[in-house]
Amino acid sequence: MTIEAAVPESVLLRWARAEGMAQIEQYRRAGGYDAARRAATEMTADQVIEIVAASGLRGKGGAGFPTAQKWKFIPRAGPVKYVVVNGDEGEPGTFKDRTLIEGCPHLLVEGTLIAAVTIGARRAYIYLRREYHRARRLLEAAIAQARQAGFVGERIFGSEHTVEIVVHTGAGAYIAGEETALLESLEGRRAMPRQRPPFPAQAGLYQRPTLVQNVETLCHLPVIISLGPDRYKALGPPALFSVSGAVNRPGVYEAPLGISLRSLIFGHAGGMPPGRRFKAAFPGGISSVFLTEADLDVKMDHDSLRQAGTMLGSAAVIVVDDSLDMVEVMARAVEFYRDESCGKCTPCREGTAWIAQVLERILCGRGRVEDLALIESIAAGMTGTCFCPLGESVPPGLVASLRLFRGEYERRIAQGEARAV
Amino acid sequence: MPSEAVRATVTLVIDGREVTAPRGTTVYQAARAAGVDIPIFCYHDRMPPLGACRMCLVEVEKMPKLQTACTLEAADGMVVSTTSPAVAAAQASILELLLSNHPLDCPICDKGGECPLQDQAFRYGEGRSRFVETKRDYAKPISLGPVLVLDRERCILCWRCVRFGEIIAGDDALKGFERGFASAIGTPFGLPVESKFIGNAIAICPVGALTSRTYRFRARPWDIEPVASSCAHCGLGCAVWLDVRGGEILRTRAREDPGINDVWLCDLGFFGHAYVAARDRLTTPLVRREGRLQRASWEDALGVVAERLRASLARGPGRVAFLGGRRLSNADAAAAAWFFRAVARTPHLDHRVDASPDGASLRVGWGLRSSLEDLARGDVFVLVGCDLTEEYPVLWLRIKAAIDRGARLVIVHSKRLEIRAHARCEIICRHDQLAQLTAELAAAVAQHGGAGCGASRIDLAANIMATGSRVHLLLGRFALDGPGGCDLLRSAQALSQRAGVTLHIARGRGNDIGAARLGLLPGEGGMHAPGILRGAAADGFDLLYVAGSDPATTVDDRAAWDAARMGVGFLVVHEAFLSATAQAADVVLPALVAPEKDGTITNLEGRTLPLRAVVAGPGRARADQEIFELLAARLGVVRGHVAAAPVGSVVPTPVETAHAAGAAQEPAAAGGAAPPLVLAVSEHLFTRGSMTGRCPGLAELVGTAHCLIHPSDAARADVAHLDLVELATEHAALVVQARVSEDVPPGQVLLPRGHDTAPAGALVRWSPAPVGVQIRPIAPSGGAEP
Repeated sequence: MTIEAAVPESVLLRWARAEGMAQIEQYRRAGGYDAARRAATEMTADQVIEIVAASGLRGKGGAGFPTAQKWKFIPRAGPVKYVVVNGDEGEPGTFKDRTLIEGCPHLLVEGTLIAAVTIGARRAYIYLRREYHRARRLLEAAIAQARQAGFVGERIFGSEHTVEIVVHTGAGAYIAGEETALLESLEGRRAMPRQRPPFPAQAGLYQRPTLVQNVETLCHLPVIISLGPDRYKALGPPALFSVSGAVNRPGVYEAPLGISLRSLIFGHAGGMPPGRRFKAAFPGGISSVFLTEADLDVKMDHDSLRQAGTMLGSAAVIVVDDSLDMVEVMARAVEFYRDESCGKCTPCREGTAWIAQVLERILCGRGRVEDLALIESIAAGMTGTCFCPLGESVPPGLVASLRLFRGEYERRIAQGEARAV
Repeated sequence: MPSEAVRATVTLVIDGREVTAPRGTTVYQAARAAGVDIPIFCYHDRMPPLGACRMCLVEVEKMPKLQTACTLEAADGMVVSTTSPAVAAAQASILELLLSNHPLDCPICDKGGECPLQDQAFRYGEGRSRFVETKRDYAKPISLGPVLVLDRERCILCWRCVRFGEIIAGDDALKGFERGFASAIGTPFGLPVESKFIGNAIAICPVGALTSRTYRFRARPWDIEPVASSCAHCGLGCAVWLDVRGGEILRTRAREDPGINDVWLCDLGFFGHAYVAARDRLTTPLVRREGRLQRASWEDALGVVAERLRASLARGPGRVAFLGGRRLSNADAAAAAWFFRAVARTPHLDHRVDASPDGASLRVGWGLRSSLEDLARGDVFVLVGCDLTEEYPVLWLRIKAAIDRGARLVIVHSKRLEIRAHARCEIICRHDQLAQLTAELAAAVAQHGGAGCGASRIDLAANIMATGSRVHLLLGRFALDGPGGCDLLRSAQALSQRAGVTLHIARGRGNDIGAARLGLLPGEGGMHAPGILRGAAADGFDLLYVAGSDPATTVDDRAAWDAARMGVGFLVVHEAFLSATAQAADVVLPALVAPEKDGTITNLEGRTLPLRAVVAGPGRARADQEIFELLAARLGVVRGHVAAAPVGSVVPTPVETAHAAGAAQEPAAAGGAAPPLVLAVSEHLFTRGSMTGRCPGLAELVGTAHCLIHPSDAARADVAHLDLVELATEHAALVVQARVSEDVPPGQVLLPRGHDTAPAGALVRWSPAPVGVQIRPIAPSGGAEP
C-alpha cells in the first residue's frame, strides 16, 4: 500500500496508517527524513521558525500555545539546551500520539530532530507513558535505525549538529503529562508541578532552557516543512481528533481544525449507536467542559471552543449518550482527579476527595438536598486556588453539570430519600 | 533607564501601606518585613518557596487570579490585599479543606498550644465544618525509628519535612509516597528513618504529624519554660533552648544563631539532654574504703584528697598529674588549670585525653582557623579523615549550603561517607594509606597548580583545590591520629601554604577548645596526656586527678589506661556518673553537668558561648570550679576573684600553633610492610558514652556494634553479611556484627568507636604502625544464638 493510498485525504495520519512505516527504508522511500535533512543542512534556525510561524501550528498537548513563539523563548546562546517530548498522553480519551508512534515512529524521530537542530539542543528526551510498551519498542528500534543511518548522534546528516535521543518512560502518573511535573519525573523525582516562572524555556530540565513539545506537535513539523506553510494551512490546517465513547466508529481522525463537532461525531465517527441519543460530549478530554446538543455545530478550534466556554485541549472527543446518568459521569471524572492529583496542593488533593465522597454518597442514595450547594461551594473554593491546571479543571465541568443536568442530581437525591422513608 | 535597571529596591502597596523591599524578595517576605501577617504552612524561610499549601493567597490588582504570596516576587507598583473578601474566602476554604480530614485530637496532641494549624484555624477559619463524610483513617501512630513517630492523619502534606531532607540536610530522610489524596510521607518500606537531623523535621512540622518519642505526651507548651543555652556535645556549641518543667529538661530546641547553627540542630543536640536527669547520677562523694567505694561527706572526701595532695607536695612538685577538660565549663577549666599549676605545683596537665602519642593531635592546636561564617563562605572544602556527619553534623549543614551555592567538596577517607553524593571528588583508601595520598595530593597541587591535570582522582582533587579561591581543608581525628598522622599533617600544612587555603584541625569535642585556651595543656617540662598515662604506669606520680573526662573509655589504648591505673597510687575523679574511670577511683567527687552550671564554653571556632543553669544539680553534686576552690582552701590557698570571659566574639586558634607545649617528640616512623588486614577505628556520632548512653532514643540510635569489611576480604575470611565475627589483634579480641560493604576499601576492617559492648580501645595498642587484625566468623546471622 502506498503512502498516498493509506488515508487519501490526510497528510499526517496516512504516515501512521501506511504499511511498514516502522522501517526506515520504507519511511525514506516515502520521503521521510528529507525535512529533517533540510533543517539540519540547508536551513537556518530562523528559516525553520519562520515556516513554523507561518503554518500557525499550535501545541497539540492541551494548552494550544503557538509553537514558533515557544521556540523563540528559548535563548539562542547557552551551551546546554534540551528538547523534551511529552508522550505521556494521559488525558482520558486521548490516543492520537500512540497511533502516530505505533504507526510511524520515524515521524516523531524526524520531528524531534527538526526541533532539536532549530533550538540548538544536543539531547532530546522522549518521555513516554508507561503503558505504551509497543510504542516504546517501535520508537527505540526507529531511533536505532536512524542512528545507523547517521540521522541521530553526532554530525547528523553530515551537518555540524549533534542530537542524541533518549526514550524514558514514566511510572503511570497522569500529572506527569503536565510539562513541569514531567521534568521533575524525568529528573528522577516525584512528578509534581513546578512553580512557574521560571518557565521551562528559561529553566527546565536540570535548570537548562528546555523545549517541551507534544508528540503530535512534533509530527506536524516534517509535514509542514515538506508541504510548505501555505499548502499546510490550506489543508485546514490538519489536526488529529481522538473520538471515543458512544459512537459507532471510535478512533483517531484527521480533519481540518475548525470542523464542526457534529461532522466529527456523526460523519467521521459514524454517529450514535442504534437506539441511542446524543446527550453530551467532552471536546478536549475530560478536563474540558462538556458540550450539549445545542452546541453540536461548534467549530473544533481553539478560539471557537473557548468562546463556547470550553477548550480544544488534546482534541479528545468523548461522547456521552442518553443511557448514561450525568451524576455517574461526573462522579467517575472526579474520582479520576482524586486518584491522579499529585497531592502537592491543598485544594486539589482535599477538594477532589471531598467532592468524590459527596458524589459517591448521592449515588448510594444517601444524598442530601444541601449537597448540591455544598459541591458548588467546594468547587468555588478550588477555583483559582489550585497550583496547576489539574485541580483547576475539576470545577468548571462539575458546575456545568449542576447547571445543565441539575434534575438528574435532584432525582438521585429524591430517590434516596424515598428509599430511606 | 539605567537608574531603573540598577535600583535595588521595589515599592509596592500592601493593605494600603506603601512598602519598600529589596528587589527579588517575595510578596510574603515584603509583607512580613512590614509587619503584615500572611498565614503560611508550607513556606519555610530557609527553603525556596513551594506554593503547595495555598494558605498565603493574596489578591493583587490587575492579576486575574489570587496569587500565592510566598512565590510571587514583589514588583514595583503592585497593589496587594491580604484581607480582601476574596482572600478571606480562599483562606477559609483552604483551612476547611485542611481540616476536613484532620483529626480533632488536639487535646492529646503534643503540638496543641504551639500549633500553626490550630492558631490559623482560630484566626482565619470558619469555626465550623461542613464535612460530614468519613475522615481519612490511617494506622497511627507509626514508629520510624528510635526518636521519630509519625501520625499520618494529622499530616497536612506541607512537604516541609521532605524538603528539609532534600534541601537542607541532603539526606532524603523522609519522602512522599502514593499520590493525590492517598499521599503520605514516610520512609521506604517504613524502615527506621536514617538521618542525623530528623529533630529538625519534627521542629518544622506545622502540625503534630511528626513527634519525638522522647517528648511525646510529656508536657504542654504553656507549662514549660524555655531557657537559652548552648549545646555542649560535639564542640560546635549550637545555640539551644532547653525547655524545662519541674526541674527537668523535657526538650531541646534550636535557638537561632546565624553564626553557628542558623535555626538547625543535629539529633545529638535534640535528644541529648535526658542524661541530666538520669537516676544514677552521683549525689554524694565516694571514698574507697576496705576496697569498696563508699558514700562519704564532702568534708571527709575533700579531707582525704587534700591529705594525699599535701603528702605528695611534701615530696616535691610535679608528682601529681591531671587529665581532662572536655566536659568542664570555661570557669571550671580555669579553676583546674590554676589549681594544678599554682596549688598542686605540677606541669603535667592535659585535656587531650583521647590523643594518640604517635599521632599529630598532640602537635597542633585544635580547632578551626576561621569563624564558621568565614568557613561557610568557602568555595572548596576538602575533608581528610573527617567524617562531618559523625563528628560535627551542623558543620555539614553549613558546608552543604555552600555546596548548593556552587562550592565543591573533596573527600579523602577510608570509607564512603554518607555525604558522598554531594562530593565532586571522593578518594577512598586504607587508613594506613591516607598519609601517602595526602602527600600525593599536596605534590599534585604544588606541581601543576591545577593546570594540565591528569585523569586520576588525585589529579581531579588537586585541580579542584588549585582552582578554588577560598579552600578549607579539614583534618579530622581519623587522619591526625591514624598511621602516619604526623606526615599527613605536614602535607596538609604544605597545602595550606598556598594562598587561599585554610587548614582547620577538626578536633575536640565538648569544651576541649576552652580547656586548651584556659591552660589545661602541659606546662614547662610537662607531659602530654599519653605521657601522663605512661608516667603513671611507671609509678611516676603519687596522684592522678581526672575531671571532665572518662579516660577509661576515651583513651585510644585501653591497656595504657589500665596500666596507668595500676601504677598510680591514688586516683581522684570528678564525675556525674559511676563511669568506668570513676569505678576505678579512690575518691569520686560528684560533679554538676553543663545544663546545671552558669558559665561559658568555647566552641571549635573559638567563640565563647553562654551556658545556663537551667536545672539544679542532684543531691550534693558541685561544680568542678567549686570543688577545686574548696580543695585549694583545704590546702591553705584562697583563689581571688576571676573575671568571666566575654561571650560572643570569635577568636580562632592561631594558625601557627604547632603546640610546643607537651614537648612531643617526633614519633618513631612506621616501619615494615602493612599487615594484610588493617584495623581502622572510625568516629560515630551516637555512642554509648556516659551521657549519650543515658539518653533514650540516642542510646538506641547507636545500633548494634559492628564492623565494616569489603566483600573480597569477607569472602576470603568466609564471613557473610551480618554474621557475628571475632576481631582479633595480637592484644585482644572482641565480637561484633560484620557488615559486608563496598563502602570500605579491601584490606581493612573499619570499627566504629563508641560501643561499650565492643570497645575499640581494647583492641588497639598505641603504635605508629597500622594495627593488623584477623576476622573470624563465630556465628552465621541465620543461626540461632545460644
